[in-house]
Amino acid sequence: MTTAAPTLGQPTRLSRSRGLASRFLVFATSQEFVLLLVVVLLFAVVGNTNPRYLAERNVLNIFNGNAYIAVAAVGMTMVIISRNIDISVGSLIGVLGTVSGSLAINGYPIWSSWLVPILLGGVVGAVIGFMVAYLRIPSIVVTLGLLSILKGGLITVTNGAWITDMPDTYFLAQMRTPEISLLGINIPAIPSPIVIMIVLTLLAALWMRYSPTGRAIYAVGGNAEAARLSGISEKRIIMTVFIINGLCVGIAAVLWATQLSIIQSTVPAGLELQVITSAVVGGVSIMGGVGTTIGAMLAAILLSAINSALVFINVSPYWFRAVVGVLILITVLTDLLRRRRTQA
Amino acid sequence: MKAKVLALFVLCALVVMSVAFPVAAQDRWDGADDLDVNPLECPVAEGETAAEEAAAEMDMPEYDGGQPTDAPDLAGQDIVVVDVPKLVGIGYFAATTLGQQQAAEELGNVTVTTDAPTEANIDDQIAVIDNYITQGVNGILFAANDPVAIAPVLRRALEAGIHVVGYDANSEPDAREWFVNQAEFNGIAKSMIDSMVAEIGEDGSFAIVTSTFTTPNQARWIAEMQAYQEKCFPEMTWLETVEAQEDNVLSFTQATTLINKYGPDMDGIFGMTSVATPAAADAVSQAGLCAVDAVDGAASSEDDAVAVVGLATPNAMKPYVTGDFAGCVKSVVLWNPIDLGYAAVYVLRAIVDGEFGPGDTSVEAGRLGTLQVVNGSEILLGPPFVYTAENIDGFDF
Amino acid sequence: MTTTTHTTDDSQEQMSSRIRSFLLRQEVILLIISLLAVMFLAFGSDRFLTTDNLLNQGRLLTEIGLVALSMTFIIITGGIDLSVGSILGLCAIILGVMWDPNGAFALPLEVAVVICLLVGTLAGFVNGLIIVRLGVPPLITTLATLALYRGLAEGISQARSVRGYPEEFYVLGQGEFLGVPTQLWVLLIFCILTAVILSRTIFGRAIYAIGNNELGARFSGVPVGRYKIMIYTFSGFMAAMAAWIFVSRVSTTRSDMGSGLELDAIAAVVLGGTSIFGGSGSIIGTIIGFILIQLLKNGLALSGVTTDGTIVVIGTVLILAILINNFIQRRSGNG
Repeated sequence: MTTAAPTLGQPTRLSRSRGLASRFLVFATSQEFVLLLVVVLLFAVVGNTNPRYLAERNVLNIFNGNAYIAVAAVGMTMVIISRNIDISVGSLIGVLGTVSGSLAINGYPIWSSWLVPILLGGVVGAVIGFMVAYLRIPSIVVTLGLLSILKGGLITVTNGAWITDMPDTYFLAQMRTPEISLLGINIPAIPSPIVIMIVLTLLAALWMRYSPTGRAIYAVGGNAEAARLSGISEKRIIMTVFIINGLCVGIAAVLWATQLSIIQSTVPAGLELQVITSAVVGGVSIMGGVGTTIGAMLAAILLSAINSALVFINVSPYWFRAVVGVLILITVLTDLLRRRRTQA
Repeated sequence: MKAKVLALFVLCALVVMSVAFPVAAQDRWDGADDLDVNPLECPVAEGETAAEEAAAEMDMPEYDGGQPTDAPDLAGQDIVVVDVPKLVGIGYFAATTLGQQQAAEELGNVTVTTDAPTEANIDDQIAVIDNYITQGVNGILFAANDPVAIAPVLRRALEAGIHVVGYDANSEPDAREWFVNQAEFNGIAKSMIDSMVAEIGEDGSFAIVTSTFTTPNQARWIAEMQAYQEKCFPEMTWLETVEAQEDNVLSFTQATTLINKYGPDMDGIFGMTSVATPAAADAVSQAGLCAVDAVDGAASSEDDAVAVVGLATPNAMKPYVTGDFAGCVKSVVLWNPIDLGYAAVYVLRAIVDGEFGPGDTSVEAGRLGTLQVVNGSEILLGPPFVYTAENIDGFDF
Repeated sequence: MTTTTHTTDDSQEQMSSRIRSFLLRQEVILLIISLLAVMFLAFGSDRFLTTDNLLNQGRLLTEIGLVALSMTFIIITGGIDLSVGSILGLCAIILGVMWDPNGAFALPLEVAVVICLLVGTLAGFVNGLIIVRLGVPPLITTLATLALYRGLAEGISQARSVRGYPEEFYVLGQGEFLGVPTQLWVLLIFCILTAVILSRTIFGRAIYAIGNNELGARFSGVPVGRYKIMIYTFSGFMAAMAAWIFVSRVSTTRSDMGSGLELDAIAAVVLGGTSIFGGSGSIIGTIIGFILIQLLKNGLALSGVTTDGTIVVIGTVLILAILINNFIQRRSGNG
């Protein structure tokens, strides 16, 4: 986490004054492009052995399946870029999802059962941010403690009772866009989690690239000292990052809770690792201060696609985790090699 | 540079190892264990059930449970009992806890508290039991996460003079006095397969969603299902088994992937846990493949429809049996977990009171009447129960 | 602030400031918190403060303790090892598969144990190689190997448990030596060993130097890469030791063994005052850390708090302990 990295800021800056060809080269060697390539390759190979893999339904399911993880990974991306970490996301998703379901079955308006968990997530994020930025407790310690508190607290309060019988209009994640026919092309009904995932990811990517605060996150993560010298308030940035992260976790929790007719009011095991893995495979934090939310989203989709592919091509499910581990290593290594080449 | 090559080499070696190593054991990953199986008789055309009764009259093995040393005589006195299920936080064990509380209330001289880890983890479960031995309870009820790993700590409990009774998931026999068996493995297997055959016919194809391949009960049921299906319905096609932990989102994803993979080639899905079954039903209804046309999620044709049969608690399944998606699921197999917890407390009370011990062939269990002893030191709750649209609304857990 | 007049007794002043700085050390603060906790818990249940109970708790904390010791070295260098739980699982499976009389290998138990330790050491060595030679940050490397090693454990075991070890194998995990659980002796030996190495050797000082300023350490001639590989390798070895003891204690192998162990170990180390940013910390602190966590778990349970309540308390204690420590350190730093 604390590897002193001499590389600074966005690599794309190098290319600004160069020609189209070299711009393309930079794009073609970016983590996002590599991931896109891997996803396409995976679709091609598995689709070749079993065409049903490429059926509209399965592709939508692959995108939909990890959408809530991709949403949480948006926040995680910022957290990791700022040289922090949040390992309490899984527990927080469990708690906020339970809050959402409880509101819905206790007669509160549906919009409040969607909105309250998101705001609550922001509040929890602010608390974490305050402890990290102002009380100077390392984020891994704060979130490790919070993970225990949320996990144990949730069971204490709910006794593990499942939440069922939500009103019909509650299931946000099961809603779909209307089918549109545009210029003779039929656009199928897209599940709402996919729409939310894409919109949120793009908004975050643009914000991080073009707004002063967004750029400051990279600066804080890349070289906190330099950032401080150039007048950026590190504390304020870290607060901001954790609040945004909390809001993202809140949205992810609502998507998580509204996709099925039962809310298992416990903490989903290992969810935080999936979120962190998505961010990391997406190219975040190799050197600290680098990475985008688009990469994280593609990584979340890739993980979902692999999970589906393993079922499709009859690979023993015993090996899933080993495959994921090798995958993380390979993406990280190619990323390192690529960086070395572009620097040379 | 040399070191870099070395590092890459080690990495490659690991990858190769990960592929090459399991070839020896790769022949099956259907989620079944490799213990002996004992499939029941096939269903007979005209409702003859004589065969089943014959099976029950096997030679009774010797009592093979353990005994506590110097347990204090507390006949008729108040006792404190701790219940340690596999984990807290799932509906199933909430139901067994409810049953225990009911029994405790009826008896009036038993106090039961439930405490268990939040994840089904062997080490945490051992630590919890250990603490209660130290604290000094009179009895321990348990549902084991691993039959062998839990044995040493249970033996310590017996040595400390604590009465030990298992339910739901057994330990090694000599580490506890009695085990309340919810239903025999082959009985569950028969109910599951018969229910599925009723929906998809004797030549249907099906896949399974289970928790993990290491969960003993699930592995046992799958093995028995396999044996029974091969014996009675050899025309059925066994597609595959997928793992989904005790996680409903993952269960939903896995079931959806199965539906997408096999399309019309798959006729049914078995859910092996109380988490997997409702999630599989959700997957089928969201994919629009329910077998009835009265609801939103109806299949376009009979051929496309996917049936769901599985182990589940009634409340979680009501939407699919009688609720919004009525008819999407026709039968849910389960014993009554409330009765299971209830029986466990009665058995423990009977032991403490000296009314029940090695050599006895039956025990009185309150509203459940007389329960039979099987397999040496197990008490059988009864045959598995099949919930259908006719009776499911009468249950609330 | 302490611009006191230097005319009065200088040595006495030095003495009192030394005492004060001793009292303000994280280990001492933690020790005081622990003693308070023990007193409090002893009121909760009269069975808590008994030799039997405390020795028995020793059995339960050995695995976490062993792993926390090596984790201390890693965290002091500013690294982290998330893969220890998975290494434990992998080693346990290897031990079982190699020994299994009905399996493909059917090796003698002693050989199987040696292979188990070797595999753990190799797994740690691979972590170290990737981190040092390929320059991948420790968090990411061990996140990847966390998945990889657990996957290997699941793949190799094919979900089968290996059971029925000979009676003498259980001595380590279930037996006693001089009235004390066998594994506690092992833990004690490693505690002394690591404490001496960290505080009394050049190697130990180099570990702190790496954590404080890696570049500086390199310039002053510390073989940073080699040392880092050594501590990650050691971490793998300790996880394998823990696996051996764990299998002996629970008498079976399962591929899900040790999941979540890494977080418990990290919590113990951090509670013990080792800074997650590297550069400071001690073995004594870690020892107090894992003992305090175990005592809390046990004492609260004996006082009638359920497991989920206990988790909440431990999480709170972790945050509060660091918070109090930060507060005191800053006060004394300013004062």
